[in-house]
Amino acid sequence: MKVIFQKQNFVIEKQISLFSKTNKINEGAIVLFVGKARHKYKDKKILSIDIELYEKMAIFQTKKIIKNLKKKYNILDYLLIHRFGKIKPGENIILILVSSEHRKQSFGFSEELIDWLKVKATFWKKEHFSKNSKWVSQKESDRKLIKT
Amino acid sequence: MKILYFASLKESIGKREDTIQIDGKKKIYQIIDELKNSDSNYNTAFTKIKNLQYAVNCEYVNKNSFVTNKDELAIFPPVTGG
Repeated sequence: MKVIFQKQNFVIEKQISLFSKTNKINEGAIVLFVGKARHKYKDKKILSIDIELYEKMAIFQTKKIIKNLKKKYNILDYLLIHRFGKIKPGENIILILVSSEHRKQSFGFSEELIDWLKVKATFWKKEHFSKNSKWVSQKESDRKLIKT
Repeated sequence: MKILYFASLKESIGKREDTIQIDGKKKIYQIIDELKNSDSNYNTAFTKIKNLQYAVNCEYVNKNSFVTNKDELAIFPPVTGG
């Protein structure tokens, strides 16, 4: 059960391998979600993105969200990695691994966790194009997914 | 008290934090009004950037919340992680 915020990229296969090696009593399902940096915004090529982090609050908010979701879905284990700093298109941004007795618990936990992180965890993305840069705006559709 | 700025707000103001002294307690919007009156950079930043969010000691609050010298206030545009 870990939350990691880091600058460096992660290797998905290595994380799955480590996570699935730990024996959990009555584990019946593991779900993986990976969020990646896109190559384009509309028709504009993205050269890189920068992710700014307010670490203290991101940890606080993420732990709060996870505490609630653990109660709701009764999961056995999780790993969350969220990167910050400079990221190139195609690289990984976020990884969620969850295990539970039944698949619906892990699917529910991972989906709700990413929905909450998108509107509560204090990360900000800035996209760099060839001629300019732009801070990413929060999507109305993401806000609607969570009940505050 | 410490005030932290992030993302486009930080860029527009031109710094990441301020330390100010307040007597007793004040509402967040009063502090922002005072900053806006003190310097045109703040005035431009706080006027230009919409939907700002506020957090006191890492908890989301609204701008009618009170703060004291012991608090850490963070002001930022809506988050875009994940």
